[in-house]
Amino acid sequence: MISPDTLGLLLQGLSHVTVASAVMIGLALVLLYLGIEKGYEPLLLLPIGAGCLLANLPLSPLIAEDGMLRVLYDMGIQNELFPLLIFIGIGALTDFGPLLENPRLVLLGAAGQFGIFLTLIAALLLGFTRPEAASIGIIGAIDGPTSIYVSGLLAPHLLGPITVAAYSYMSLVPIILPPIMRLLTTKEERLVRMPYSQRTLSRRTRILFPILVTLVVGTLVPFATPLIGMLMLGNLMKESGAVERLTKASAQEIANTVTLFLGLAIGSTMVGAEFLKPRTLAILVLGIVAFAVDAMAGVLFAKLLNKLSGGKVNPLIGAAGISAFPMAARVVQRVAQEDDFENFLLMHAMGANAAGQIASVVAGGVLLALMGAGAL
Amino acid sequence: MRRYNLGLDGREFVIDVQELTADSFEVFVGDERYEVTLSGDEDLPEATITPGYQPGVDPTRPSTTSPRPARGPAAPKRRAVDAPPASAGGATLSAPMPGVILEIFVKAGDVVERGQRIAVLDAMKMHNLIRAPRAATIREVCVEPGQAVGHGDALVRYQEA
Repeated sequence: MISPDTLGLLLQGLSHVTVASAVMIGLALVLLYLGIEKGYEPLLLLPIGAGCLLANLPLSPLIAEDGMLRVLYDMGIQNELFPLLIFIGIGALTDFGPLLENPRLVLLGAAGQFGIFLTLIAALLLGFTRPEAASIGIIGAIDGPTSIYVSGLLAPHLLGPITVAAYSYMSLVPIILPPIMRLLTTKEERLVRMPYSQRTLSRRTRILFPILVTLVVGTLVPFATPLIGMLMLGNLMKESGAVERLTKASAQEIANTVTLFLGLAIGSTMVGAEFLKPRTLAILVLGIVAFAVDAMAGVLFAKLLNKLSGGKVNPLIGAAGISAFPMAARVVQRVAQEDDFENFLLMHAMGANAAGQIASVVAGGVLLALMGAGAL
Repeated sequence: MRRYNLGLDGREFVIDVQELTADSFEVFVGDERYEVTLSGDEDLPEATITPGYQPGVDPTRPSTTSPRPARGPAAPKRRAVDAPPASAGGATLSAPMPGVILEIFVKAGDVVERGQRIAVLDAMKMHNLIRAPRAATIREVCVEPGQAVGHGDALVRYQEA
């Protein structure tokens, strides 16, 4: 005979299934579907979906004390290690050449961060606390690691929804950006051709750039030092050509490994009771508002530059002032070509995009400074 | 820096051209310095570029190509294929930005419509379709798949229809 107690122990998994955990598993399946079938940022959505699924199984040992997902979280999310490692890889993959050739574009990168601060205010009005509001605003940068870094410091309990929002919208860049760009520009403006103007960059310039940016940004915005320092470290390794093995490892092996760990750990924070709240929905909505306003500010600022320059700047490149390197720049090129297949804006858009990458990191640092993260 | 020695109505000029960017140059004529910006650059159909004058000694580097110095390892094969057209006239479709040619859809003798696909140029890891600017007959394909090109390098030469 099996006693009821024994039966209870054997079936305790079944008896601990809750509505919330079932819903979260459903959500995990949606994330897996989007990653695998739709190809939306599969490198992140698949591990996040898997982490979410594993964490929401009843009594999951993976998120218990010393469970693997918990260990990953403590190892690299709580102390910001993982996003910073990813940033070394991004730096090793980013070519700041187009920006150095056309330094004016840095203005577009700055304009592309406007939505962050507007969304911050909107989130405050909706009743989020200041650190929470700042973490939500940073979604507008459309820069996953920066979002994780900032919200990990300011509002770790919102990490799950913020990361999912940031990466989902990143994959939606090709869908969300074009209508905004078309809405705010006239056909005439989209037809502006910008001849490719190349300056021959010396190797010394390319090597000094990451060092100088680190010194300047690190001094002005100390909270941005970890992010900009790692981004520029990767770039310095790439441009110097002195440590090809390290550059390759940072851009590939290390970035790939950390992406897996990061995705799993983020997914494991998405646990039923905490995630299924109206505020998650609010975060998703505010995130997309932040994104759209960022893109609009970029385009409008580029329109201003267009006026000031006597019609020489195509306002479309402003949309690349958000982060999401290099996707946003490609979208700009594609939209410009719809109206004129002989128009090649790619290099200008790439410059604005690289500027946006730096600007979103700086914006993150500014937010942390404003929120007095040092006291945390 | 590239130096041109040329005679104009019997007067000798020494002209030095320094490329600052792809569309701006510093030009010295004798002791005078000029800042020159290039707003357009195409071979007009039926224009005759007299082959009688060949500066320097290298016959594969005629002065009719752009006054830009070779750009080092980025465009190593450029000079070899950038030979003068077989006959005078025709226009050139050039690379809008630096990159690598991935695919070419036309060959010499093809008749193309405006907008027809000519080649795919990989720039900043994006595949860019290069299309025919006007209806034309392709006279010469100047690049091959896998070749690195700089801004302004000739991709195909064509005769307008």
